[in-house]
Amino acid sequence: MKKKLLSAVLAAAMVLSLAACGKNTPASVETPASTDTTSTEVSASAEETKTDEPDARGLLNGKFVDTRHITVELYDRNVDGGTEAGNNAWTKWIQEQMLERYNVEVEFVTVARWTEGDDIGNLLAAQNAPDICYTYNYGQIQTYANMGGVLDLAPILEENKDLVPSMFDWLGDAVIYQDLDPSTGTLWAIEGKRNEICRINTFVRKDWLDKLGLKEPTNKAEFEAMLVAFKDNAETLLGADASKMVPYSISYDVGWRAATLIESFMDPDITDKEYYVNGYDDRKFTENGTKEAVRLLNKWYNDGLIWHDFAEHSGSDDTTEDDMIKAGFVGAFTHNYDYPFRNGKDSINATLAAQYGDGAKFVAVNCFEDKKGGYNKYSYSNTGDRKVFFPATNDEPIASLLYLEFMSQAETVQYLQIGDEGVLHTVDAATGAIVLQAPDEAHHDYYQNSGKNIDMTINCNGLRLATPELTTLSLAFSYSDVDPEDVKTAIAVASKDAQIPPTPSVGDIQAETEGTDLSGKRDQTYDKAVVASVADFDAVWDAGMAEYLAAGGQAIIDERTAAWDATYSSDNLN
Amino acid sequence: MAKDNQVKAPTKKLNKAYIKRYWQLYALIFLPLLYLLIFKYLPMRYIILAFKEYKLNIPLKEMPWANVKGTTDVFKYFKTAFKNIDFIRALKNTLKLNLLDLIMGFPAPIIFALVLNELRFNKFKKVVQTIAYMPHFLSWVIIANLVTQIFATTDGLFNRVFGTAIPFLSDPSHWVGTYVGAGVWQSFGWGSIIYLASIAGINTELYEAASVDGAGRFKKMWHITLPGIKPTIVVLLIMNLGYIMGGGFERPYAMKNNLVIEACEVISTFVYKNGIQQLKISLTTAVGLFQSVVGLFFLLTANTISRKLGERGIW
Repeated sequence: MKKKLLSAVLAAAMVLSLAACGKNTPASVETPASTDTTSTEVSASAEETKTDEPDARGLLNGKFVDTRHITVELYDRNVDGGTEAGNNAWTKWIQEQMLERYNVEVEFVTVARWTEGDDIGNLLAAQNAPDICYTYNYGQIQTYANMGGVLDLAPILEENKDLVPSMFDWLGDAVIYQDLDPSTGTLWAIEGKRNEICRINTFVRKDWLDKLGLKEPTNKAEFEAMLVAFKDNAETLLGADASKMVPYSISYDVGWRAATLIESFMDPDITDKEYYVNGYDDRKFTENGTKEAVRLLNKWYNDGLIWHDFAEHSGSDDTTEDDMIKAGFVGAFTHNYDYPFRNGKDSINATLAAQYGDGAKFVAVNCFEDKKGGYNKYSYSNTGDRKVFFPATNDEPIASLLYLEFMSQAETVQYLQIGDEGVLHTVDAATGAIVLQAPDEAHHDYYQNSGKNIDMTINCNGLRLATPELTTLSLAFSYSDVDPEDVKTAIAVASKDAQIPPTPSVGDIQAETEGTDLSGKRDQTYDKAVVASVADFDAVWDAGMAEYLAAGGQAIIDERTAAWDATYSSDNLN
Repeated sequence: MAKDNQVKAPTKKLNKAYIKRYWQLYALIFLPLLYLLIFKYLPMRYIILAFKEYKLNIPLKEMPWANVKGTTDVFKYFKTAFKNIDFIRALKNTLKLNLLDLIMGFPAPIIFALVLNELRFNKFKKVVQTIAYMPHFLSWVIIANLVTQIFATTDGLFNRVFGTAIPFLSDPSHWVGTYVGAGVWQSFGWGSIIYLASIAGINTELYEAASVDGAGRFKKMWHITLPGIKPTIVVLLIMNLGYIMGGGFERPYAMKNNLVIEACEVISTFVYKNGIQQLKISLTTAVGLFQSVVGLFFLLTANTISRKLGERGIW
């Protein structure tokens, strides 16, 4: 009897656990809040205009008569001390506003920031992708489109242009139709805009320079001499930790973490066509001059001036290098133009100041001269950034367009970026600049999981205030716990001689969906070439480049060349 | 559960009375069978994707057969795979790493179980056993990070303490050693459980009789313990041979780095990169199918050989 009972219980337990699995809905999906309160307003406003008939799209005075429901992708950065990505004061505000203005319910679907491509691919394959998706990678959207997974936006925009005036104002035809394929007339994605175009800087430890009586380096020779001085004076600078000295630190992503050096080796007078043809790879792998830049890195590596183990720490979550920089073992590095200022009290500069006093900090310098004597480098392009697309499963394209319209409005973006005065920002009395601050405990729900909520303002990346003047003025004040003067310097250094990359509109490049692991091969070649012996450098670089080109790199270059020639008669856009 | 069925296996045909008598056991096995059906057998219909062009917006049945510019060629993706140097490299590495794992990793738990069995001080034995099991419960992400912290060429603990600069992680052949070593470290304790259980099942009278005959510890181990656990060893060996083309994803993925890519890219990481990250579903299904067929071949061959040698095999 006992045995019978036991087995019945066990079987029942298994049934239950299996049933529980079946019911498993994605935990990250959030349903909109406060539907009750707003539904009354909706019926009230509908009553006022009840004499009018809704149009064929179900809209009455720009608002749906029946409540529509859309799902929207949102990056989840899993921030330490942050709020739940899909459920916080900001998402609730967006949901309320969309319901109130357009009678559209918004549901956020969060995907992990660093695996967003994988996640969206899986959701698409499961016919379960959010109605509005965004990504930085156009090749990915092209891949989905080839498989029939993406809606063509061209006819949708054509028929509903009247609904999205703010979007056309904000982005303009050139950006909206940047990805229009001239031969097929399809538009798989709408590009966004980047409102802060500074891209990259090289930083050096100011207090170390002062301690050794050195000036900020202004060219490669001085930079190298500085690294040697750091290395030779490790005892003075680091005392007992002298053996941990890293004069110049890079990561496995050499093409990014030495970009200022690489771009200084490029010809500043390169044509738009040459830039574009080699531009599939945003790490400048196949551009002219890159090999010589890496040869210099290789020399520095073999001279013991570069972090020796950089390539062994290759996980994207590996924080070893950041920890080294924050601990004060690193003399120089290259990164995002504002990298030492990010994250308030946890920022690199704030951490250094807390340990070694206010003088300890990284400052941006222009130290890699190009062949014309300037500091050639590339900023971001203002046009074309994140790309928004609607999966084929989107059955509310018009409601989705209204979401883009809402996100294109200046007030929406401004509120999401700087919030309420006193909570997220103050106004500088002297200049009128907006000074961002972290919310206090009582307003923790207003914490921005991404800087200035860029993950939510999906077609605007970077500060966008009511006027462009106020935006520029406030930029230096948009980092809490950081000296605004350091930010101003960083902006000036990053802008010096910075070229804006051309953004031609030549249609889809099929080869970009076909290469196998091109970014992997690029990084492998960069890494292996840096750590090779000086004698082996050429062989290692050439072999890696040959493999990259054979794996699809050359096909992309060829197709881009052909597409350019078919579209433009000159090698330059202007 | 399978064992339960074996213990009282009917000699005659399965009949209603039998099912009625043991219905609890059938109830218990029903759900695991359902699990296998739903998660292992039903998905097999998607194997056909290896021969089709994958589309996101139409049902499986309507997806067109694989074709090259309109000409149907159902084996297109198999041909693509074998022309891809990354796949060939991944194939070679999978075989190499799994074979090394088998050679180094398979005997380790057996030796450990034998040694542990000889320990007479029970408390010490238990502590050693627990410590040896523990790594099994660590995720490979954690182990890979530990390995990097300990074995990095200049900043790693090992090279700092011993003042050496051994490229454990940056030189391909050293990396293979590190990879296999980490695998053995992670799994030998856990793997020994089944052997210890098997040793516990050996009739103690045999040992007593051997002692009377004057056999020492080593002789008893060689002539009683090892033959006693031989069937277990054989079954596990056959199953391991079935995995020779397979292998997990986390371990090579977490331990790889750009400097040793020619040694660390395996089929599972290749499938991840191309299938999940680039949505080349048909290509990676073809690779997966190839992998399974070769794995099955190894398993069947090993099983046949084992039966020919007079062992029981796995069925």
